[in-house]
Amino acid sequence: MTHVVTGNCRGCRYTDCVASCPVSCFHANEVRVYINPAVCIDCSACIPACPVGAIVEEFDLPEAERHWLDINAREVERNPVLSSRMAPLPGADARRRELGF
Amino acid sequence: MSTHSSETLVVRGACPQDCPDTCAFLYHVEDGKLVEVTGDPDHPMTRGGLCVKLKNFAEHHYNPDRLLYPMKRVGPKGSGMFERITWDEALATIKSKWTDIIAQYGTQAIMPHAYLGHQGTLNGLTAGDAFFNRLGSTVAEKTYCESGSSTAWIMTVGPTGGMDVESLAVSKYIIVWGMNMLNTNLHGWPFVLKAKAAGAKVVVIDPVRTRTAKQADWHIRIKPGTDAALALGMMNVIISENLYDHDYVEKYTLGFDQLKARAAEFPPERVSDITGIPVVDILTLAREYAGTQRSAIRQGVAVERCPGGGDAVRAITCLPALTGAWRYPGGGTIEMPIWEFPFKFDFMCRPDWIPPGTRVINELDLGAALTGAMPLDPPIKSLFVYNSNPVSQAPGASTIVEGLLREDLFMVCSELFITDTAKYADILLPATMQAEQLDIMVTWGHLYMHLNQPAIAPPGECVPNVELFRRLAKTMGFSDEHWDLDDWEMLRRSYDWDAPQMKGITLEALKDKGWMRLDVGLPGERAPHATGDFKTPSGKCEFASSLAGGGNFVVPVWRSGYEAMQPGTPVDPVPNYIPPAETTVPEGASAFPISLVSPKPHAFLNTQYANEPTQQRRQGEQIIVIHPVDAGPRSIEHGSYVRVFNERGAFEARAEVSEDVAPGLMMTNVGHWPGLNRSGTAVNSTTSTRHCNLGQAGTYSDNRVDVQRV
Ligand code: SF4
Ligand code: SF4
Ligand code: SF4
Repeated sequence: MTHVVTGNCRGCRYTDCVASCPVSCFHANEVRVYINPAVCIDCSACIPACPVGAIVEEFDLPEAERHWLDINAREVERNPVLSSRMAPLPGADARRRELGF
Repeated sequence: MSTHSSETLVVRGACPQDCPDTCAFLYHVEDGKLVEVTGDPDHPMTRGGLCVKLKNFAEHHYNPDRLLYPMKRVGPKGSGMFERITWDEALATIKSKWTDIIAQYGTQAIMPHAYLGHQGTLNGLTAGDAFFNRLGSTVAEKTYCESGSSTAWIMTVGPTGGMDVESLAVSKYIIVWGMNMLNTNLHGWPFVLKAKAAGAKVVVIDPVRTRTAKQADWHIRIKPGTDAALALGMMNVIISENLYDHDYVEKYTLGFDQLKARAAEFPPERVSDITGIPVVDILTLAREYAGTQRSAIRQGVAVERCPGGGDAVRAITCLPALTGAWRYPGGGTIEMPIWEFPFKFDFMCRPDWIPPGTRVINELDLGAALTGAMPLDPPIKSLFVYNSNPVSQAPGASTIVEGLLREDLFMVCSELFITDTAKYADILLPATMQAEQLDIMVTWGHLYMHLNQPAIAPPGECVPNVELFRRLAKTMGFSDEHWDLDDWEMLRRSYDWDAPQMKGITLEALKDKGWMRLDVGLPGERAPHATGDFKTPSGKCEFASSLAGGGNFVVPVWRSGYEAMQPGTPVDPVPNYIPPAETTVPEGASAFPISLVSPKPHAFLNTQYANEPTQQRRQGEQIIVIHPVDAGPRSIEHGSYVRVFNERGAFEARAEVSEDVAPGLMMTNVGHWPGLNRSGTAVNSTTSTRHCNLGQAGTYSDNRVDVQRV
């Protein structure tokens, strides 16, 4: 099992999650982050850190969101590990409000 | 205590579990209910996160299966049929049964059985020691884990804390030897990552390609039980290629010539044959390790779990003195820094109360002791189990069950749940969980002292172990002052608060702050053996141990503080490779062709939480990992159910076919409750009760089995 980053992350990239992860399993591209399922140890430390509720433990994923499992697993292969916090993307705050957080 | 919103009360606590991380907790309480337990974000190791095992800890307190009242057995032994009784009736029954047993057989016919189901000063490993020593019961040797390493460590470097895990951040070469840190020491891993980011190389030595091994720069796959040969092989290379620190060896070690002679018996070719590691890798490892300063070895407990495990820990512990790694912060080896804490075991355990000549029975021999396979006079007529679950966790489970079924055995068990062991009890006593009790947590993985303060009232009639033993003492008519002390006074007397390392630490300060670091040097600066100062009789790192003369011993903390009646079997002063009894038996010479190792599970803490449905989902069912070359001929496919068996017993599991294990090796996890498994058994039905060469530790990883599809 693992944790996955779902759709809410796109466009905001608050990387508070990355700072809370004890095993550095986040990978990032220009717009968002992903969790490496082979490294994640399921501690859930990242869940409360994310201001937009983007991170979900695998078995809490609703059926309609299960495709994120494959996406996370695939994207970590192509994107580098991110081990420290980055500045949020411009517009992140607006997106966060839009998402209702 | 502080309130951070109008309704939520936040109380500081600490994790009760047998895990080196001892996390700093924040209990969140609303209307007297524990709503959440989180990690303290300000604690340098906890860093705000707990782990997969404890993340639903609050809910665990409200598990509907919790034992809330004393119970007596009303059906046949092991039937699980119990009826609620009062504490008064429970205590009166115990008193009357014990009085009869003592009159007929003497006090030694009573045996306690405990381990680290809780890791507190008041309620943990030693919670019942004072009571049972006062009673004059058999002394139980509690050597489930770490005892072999403890003896080995004391023989080599003495009771020193050694290197601290936070200093790994400044290491340049890190060997994680026999530990899956991502599963069992995860709060240590960020320091490894920090070192890695600064260019350190991380090497993992493990028979299995674990999560941790996958994250390392280099995974060295070793045959289980052959670690001593690898350490001696490294020394062979380091000495013959003159890579050792002559000055350090001369000034701060004892017995170099003897060690040199021993290492000469382990040329790389021989070590390669023993360990299965290619010669070139042994050479590279030795050269890199000796050639990189600020080198650290993080030792795992797995190393001791074989017949030669004690000597393996001694050999590994010799390495940093040979290379002079101890000179630097971030250099040396981490085993268990617990020795830095100034416990007052004489108060905690009261060994002065043990009647001279009292016998010792090792807990791993419980089955033999109960069934008569071990001749005993007097026999064990009563067993008192707390903080432990031998039917799941001890080797030779089927013999233990046979013993627990004895009609003439009066068994009492203090528990949180009716476990596979508790179900055989005649009397069950309900114990508190961590948010309901006061304690100072003992830790074996870092240098912080933690106070756990009660956040909620105990449910039902649950009592902390410390109160349980007070009640038992009064019931048995003991009138010593000890039984009148309250929890705070007991904590006060359990530590030497004036010891130099306790500078600034008081109970009052702990009440406020929750946790404080011992004054023993800062992370990244601490180098306790830069100029020797080992805690051995010679003050040096003893390659040739001066304690070996007294023979094998168990460090008294694992045996109620008792110094007498030690095993005393001869011990070679210089560490040697003692082959496993089963793992390395050549193919064809054993009826059971495959070795089985059984490390800790990911989502359970030994057996704890394995009865929580959420944790069962996270962990999945009992599995075995088997290599394709072993699976193929047996028609075992990924997902097949299999029966794993040997002459001692059997269990069933789902197969995962994977090259994470080597051919001829399988892996499963200990901790699944036997009664919740398909077969009603778990891995310890197959493990042997043999002891490690030092400290009477278990040899769970030296286990040959066969497997078939069901
Ligand atoms: S904190 Fe949340 S939104 Fe920000 S990067 Fe992490 S997952 Fe994405
Ligand atoms: S659950 Fe833990 S290990 Fe997994 S991504 Fe989140 S913080 Fe990292
Ligand atoms: S089990 Fe270990 S890692 Fe998990 S909360 Fe307790 S001390 Fe921390």
